[in-house]
Amino acid sequence: MRSIILAGALAAAPLAHAAAQSMRPFTTFRQLHGESRLSAKLDFAAGELRIVSGRSDELYRMTLAYDADRFAPLSRYDAAAGAVHLGVETVGGAGLRVVSGEQIKQLAAVELSPRTDLTLDLTLGAAEGNIELGGLRVSRLALQTGASRTAVHFSRPNGVRCSSAAFGAGAAELVVTGLANSRCDRVSLEGGVGRATLDFTGELTATQQADITMAIGELALRLPRGVPVRIRTDRLLSSFKPSGLERQGDAWITPGFNPAARHLDVTLRTAVGGITLEWVP
Amino acid sequence: MRPHSLLLAAALLAGAPAAVRADLGRGPEERIGHVVEVVRDFVVQQLSPAQHPAPQAIPDAPGIGPSVDLSDLSRPAETERAIREAAPHPGPNLRLTVPNGHARLGDFTIGSAETVTGHLLVLEGNANVYGRLLGNLVSVDGNVVVHPGGVVSGDILALRGTVRDGGGEIGGEVRTLSAAAVPPAPAQAELSALARTGLNAAGIMGVFLTLLTLGAGLVLFARPNLEVVSDTVSHSFGRSFVTGLLGQILLLPTFGMLVVGLVLSVAGILLLPFAVVVYGLFVIVGVVGGYLAVAHAVGETFVRRRMARGVVVGSPNSYRYLLTGLLGLFALWAAWALFGWVPIAGDLVRGAAVLVTWLLATAGFGAALLSRAGVRASFAGRLVPPEALTDEYLWATPQFGVPAARRPDGHTPRGTRRDDASR
Repeated sequence: MRSIILAGALAAAPLAHAAAQSMRPFTTFRQLHGESRLSAKLDFAAGELRIVSGRSDELYRMTLAYDADRFAPLSRYDAAAGAVHLGVETVGGAGLRVVSGEQIKQLAAVELSPRTDLTLDLTLGAAEGNIELGGLRVSRLALQTGASRTAVHFSRPNGVRCSSAAFGAGAAELVVTGLANSRCDRVSLEGGVGRATLDFTGELTATQQADITMAIGELALRLPRGVPVRIRTDRLLSSFKPSGLERQGDAWITPGFNPAARHLDVTLRTAVGGITLEWVP
Repeated sequence: MRPHSLLLAAALLAGAPAAVRADLGRGPEERIGHVVEVVRDFVVQQLSPAQHPAPQAIPDAPGIGPSVDLSDLSRPAETERAIREAAPHPGPNLRLTVPNGHARLGDFTIGSAETVTGHLLVLEGNANVYGRLLGNLVSVDGNVVVHPGGVVSGDILALRGTVRDGGGEIGGEVRTLSAAAVPPAPAQAELSALARTGLNAAGIMGVFLTLLTLGAGLVLFARPNLEVVSDTVSHSFGRSFVTGLLGQILLLPTFGMLVVGLVLSVAGILLLPFAVVVYGLFVIVGVVGGYLAVAHAVGETFVRRRMARGVVVGSPNSYRYLLTGLLGLFALWAAWALFGWVPIAGDLVRGAAVLVTWLLATAGFGAALLSRAGVRASFAGRLVPPEALTDEYLWATPQFGVPAARRPDGHTPRGTRRDDASR
């Protein structure tokens, strides 16, 4: 049903952007021919990007409305490497153009196979991202955002164990929810200037280690009640209120914390800004 | 009977292509989605049948004639450009080479018992694949349908068309690049010299009236400040220009320092949006206000010189100075509006107008900075004693000789007589 809604939204997109100079629709997909792994690299410089779980008989699908004056669609599959490169690449046409933001808003919807183990490498520029990875089989995730607002959701448990989820955010707002559902052993965030929210709710199946570095900005950690948590901090000029935690050496831990049991281990390195903790039932 | 089954039955009864039957093995959601797609395509096809040329093969171009390589379709926009260049007007006389492949004009079908080896380009026609194509398939202004049992071993690219997977096997990627949602606006027609002159004049007049209105407001509400900035320009033009130039150079670094400083102060992050807006307003007010002060200074100088020559001036006040100065400053722009259509001279006049405007705006901005927006009169030549000012007036308004004799009696401007000045 989600695919139908998404297709409807994208079908209506050209109408919404009717005033645009030359937004072109582009679609690409590949049938699933028994591939068990896919390394997907996605570059999206500007606009709005959505990623969701796709059809079971397709390896991937991208539906795009792009600004033909400045960008060209990119869709290259390397069968030998089991890798696909999707997105838009910049072509000429630089310079100042005075139009409203809505007129030149590119829109991309990417659907990925729920049957294939995925290695995702996402690079977003000045883009708005809404990435739903719940129900997919993500074995590794790397997300690099520039001046963007990006939300990553693991609304359902990941289909496979994930080695790492690495997030890099420039001057951005980043929200990641359901990190426990990601089943990633390591979660890392390299934040520049901006705001980041990491939500560790979900179904924690193994000890998860989170390394978080924020230069300037706000960091909000949403932690599930009942899950043992240990937080180590290395702060310069940032505030941190360890509500609900107690001190143990150089770390803050939840009462009754046992390092041998499954737990969440967070290391925070922040320069300037504020860190807030929120406990989620 | 469930809803998706009803839909499926309706589609079959309506005579939808047999491809629908291939959906029977899919999941309910996919089946519904695909049936809707098929029915839509069918209805569209029936309502607006495409007019395609008679099917025919396109012979290879002789020698180094037009050629299109279809081996890499990963950049569809480039492929489209290459095809457009090679076959700008597809027709029976077209000659086109497809390395390791074939080109066709009009509808083309690969029968279920056929195998076509090599890439296939179909121009202005639909491609129906029931058999096997061992290569890539590109269609231009037509649709591609891979029917049940049909095989395309490579990629498919439909330019300004659609691809429908009716249950066949596609080994590579499927891409569709549709026409732009809105075609690019046609090139603007060349305007006549008269129309260009009218447009330019209207633009100049609009800017002039806007500045005049702003200037009148400035005189009304901040006259002392305007006069101090204006006097600073008059008395310290070089210093004002250099200050303005430095100010322009330092605008961005200062802005950067402001932002970084506010961010580093943590609490200042909240003030950042306001600071950005205020900084922008400050710059605009500095530049526009400075420019108006320059206009005021020019007008004042001009009016006083006329008065010095004995010309009767109705009411020498700041409004008049501003109007006169703006008229003077816009003289070059008026010349451009009138003669901008002249090929080289027009550009030269515009260049001169831009240069002079920048020069004066820079000086005005510098004067605004030097005088702290008209608060500080250090460089405004106002530190001289009143007696000296009186002498200056006396110098500017000859009391003896021929100029004085020519001046009509009883019309000596106020404040220029010795007895006025000594009051």
